[in-house]
Amino acid sequence: MSDDVTTVMVVDDHPIWRDAVARDLAEAGFEVVATADGVGSARRRAAAVQPGVVVMDMRLSDGTGAQACLEVLAVSPSSRILVLSASDERADVLDAVKAGATGYLVKSASKAELGEAVRATAAGRAVFTPGLAGLVLGEYRRIAQQPDGLRDGAAVPSLTERETEILRHVAKGLTAKQIAERLSLSHRTVENHVQATFRKLQVANRVEATRYAIEHGLDQ
Amino acid sequence: MLARQQVDPAAPLWRAAQVFRLLSWTYALYFQVSKNAELDRPVLGWVLFGVLTGWSLACGFAYLRGFGRRRSWVLTEAVMVVGLMATTVIVASEHWTLANQSWPTTLWATNAVVSAAILAGPVAGMGMGLAVMGTAAALKGAIAVDLVRSPTILIELSVGLAIGMAANTARRAHAEVEKAARIAAALAERERLSRHVHDGVMQVLAMVARRGREIGGETAQLAEAAGEQERALRRLLSAVDIEPEAAAAADGDLGLLLRRHASDRVSVSVPAAAVYLDPRVAAEVEAATVNALTNVERHAGPGARAYVLLEDLGNEVVVSIRDDGPGIPAGRLEAAIGEGRVGVSKSIQGRLAALGGRAELTAPAGGGTEWEFTVPR
Repeated sequence: MSDDVTTVMVVDDHPIWRDAVARDLAEAGFEVVATADGVGSARRRAAAVQPGVVVMDMRLSDGTGAQACLEVLAVSPSSRILVLSASDERADVLDAVKAGATGYLVKSASKAELGEAVRATAAGRAVFTPGLAGLVLGEYRRIAQQPDGLRDGAAVPSLTERETEILRHVAKGLTAKQIAERLSLSHRTVENHVQATFRKLQVANRVEATRYAIEHGLDQ
Repeated sequence: MLARQQVDPAAPLWRAAQVFRLLSWTYALYFQVSKNAELDRPVLGWVLFGVLTGWSLACGFAYLRGFGRRRSWVLTEAVMVVGLMATTVIVASEHWTLANQSWPTTLWATNAVVSAAILAGPVAGMGMGLAVMGTAAALKGAIAVDLVRSPTILIELSVGLAIGMAANTARRAHAEVEKAARIAAALAERERLSRHVHDGVMQVLAMVARRGREIGGETAQLAEAAGEQERALRRLLSAVDIEPEAAAAADGDLGLLLRRHASDRVSVSVPAAAVYLDPRVAAEVEAATVNALTNVERHAGPGARAYVLLEDLGNEVVVSIRDDGPGIPAGRLEAAIGEGRVGVSKSIQGRLAALGGRAELTAPAGGGTEWEFTVPR
C-alpha cells in the first residue's frame, strides 16, 4: 500500500459532494477508482475495484452508511473505511464503526484535513473526533451494564484501564499528541489504543451477528 | 369542521338507539292492539298511534342520516313524547289511565331519554328521564311513585345515565385518538422535512462553506455564514429527529439537554443511548454545565474551545467540561477562586452538592481548566 498510489472509492448520494470529494482527493494525489451513490452500487463497485480506502457518507439513496460498510467489507475485506458525514456523530456513526469503519471525519473538515485523514486511514490508523470517542465510550459502558444473562459467551468487549483513560481524553478534546505528552506514551501508541477500542466493538458486533444468524438459521 | 367530513364518535350509539326505537314501537303496537278496545275513543286512539308511528319513522331517518342529531330535534322529540302521553286525557277515562301504563307511548317514551343522553351526556339523559316520568305521574295525578310495584323511574334514570356516559366516553376516546393521530402526522411531516433539508439545503450549505474557505478573501466570510447556518440547521434537525424538546425535558434525558449547547466553540460528546435522570436533577446538571461554559467564554480567552463529555456509569453520571484556554498556573487555583477568576465555582459546587453529588475543578499542567461533576443516580 505504501509503495503504490492509494486507490479510493467515494460513496455519497449527493452529486455535489461526491464530485467535489473525488476531485479534491485526485488533486491530493489519490487515485479515485470509483464513485457510488448507494449501498448496492458501492458493493458492486468495491467488488470490482477493491479500493484501498472507501470514503463513506452516512445517508445513502438506498440505505445507511453502516449497511454499506458491512457490504463493502464483505466483498472487499482489505478496504479501509473512512466515514465522511454531516451527521452529528450520533448512533449511525457508532453503527458504522461497529460495521468496520476505522475513521470518522465531519464534512466541514478542510481539503487538507480530508487528505490527511484518507492518508491515515490507508496507513491503518484510526481517525476520530471527540464526539466519536464519547459514543464509543458510552457503548462500552452500556455493554458493561447489561445484566449477566444477556451476555453469555466470551464475546463481550471491554476496555482496559488505559483505553478508558485515553478515550476519555479524546472525548474531552485532547489531541493524540497532547494525550501522549500527558501519559508519557508515544503518539502512535495512543492511536493504536483508540483503534483497538474500535476493533473490539467491530469484532463483537460480527460475532453477535454470526450468532444471531446461526440461532435463526440464516447462516446457509 | 374543516373540509374533511367530521366523524361523529357517537354514530354507533345513534344506530343502536334506532334498533331500540323499532323494538319499543313494536311493543307499543302490541299494547295498542290489545288495549284499544278499552279506550273511550278508539278511532282517535288509532289516529294518535299513527302519529306516534310517523314520528318514529321521522326520528329513525333523522338520527340515522345525522341531521336529527341536534338539540332542536331532540327537544321536539321530547315534546312529541310528552304531548302523546297527554292525549290520554282525551281518549281514555281517568279510571283506565290509573290502571294502565302511559298510553300510547309505554316503553317507547324511553326513546326521548336515549336521544337526550346520546346528544348531551348523562345529566341531560337523566333530566329527560325525570321529565318523561314526571309527565306520566302528573297524568295519573300521583307524584308519589310506587318504586316497589313500578321501578320505571329508576330504569329511565339508569338508561339516561348509562347511555350518556357511554356517549361521553366515545367522544373522549375519539378526541384522544384524533390528537394522537395529529401528533403522529406532525412528527412524520417533520421527519420528512428533516430528510429533505438534510439531503438538499444542508449539503449545499456545507459545500459552499468548504469551497468558500478554500477560495479565501471575501468569499471566506460568505463561507463562514454558510457554515454557521449549516451547523444551526443540523442542530435543529437533530433535536427534532429524536423528540421534541419539551418531551426531553420531561423525560430528563441529560444527553439531549447537553447536546443543545453544542456550537462551533463547544463540542458535546454523549453516549448514543439516552441518559435518564430525574428531570429536575437533569435540569440542575444542565444549568451547572451552562455556568461552567459561560465561565469558559468569559475567562478562557477568545479562541478557547470547550469540550463537554457525558458518561453514564450506571450508579452515577459524570459530566466533564474542559477548555483549552491558557489554564491556571500551578498553585494559583485557590487564589484564582478568591479573585473571582472562577467566580461561579461556588454556585456550581452548591448546585451539585444540593443533588448529593460533587463538582471538582482542576487545572492540569498542560493548560486549560476542567470541571468534573459527579451525580449519583
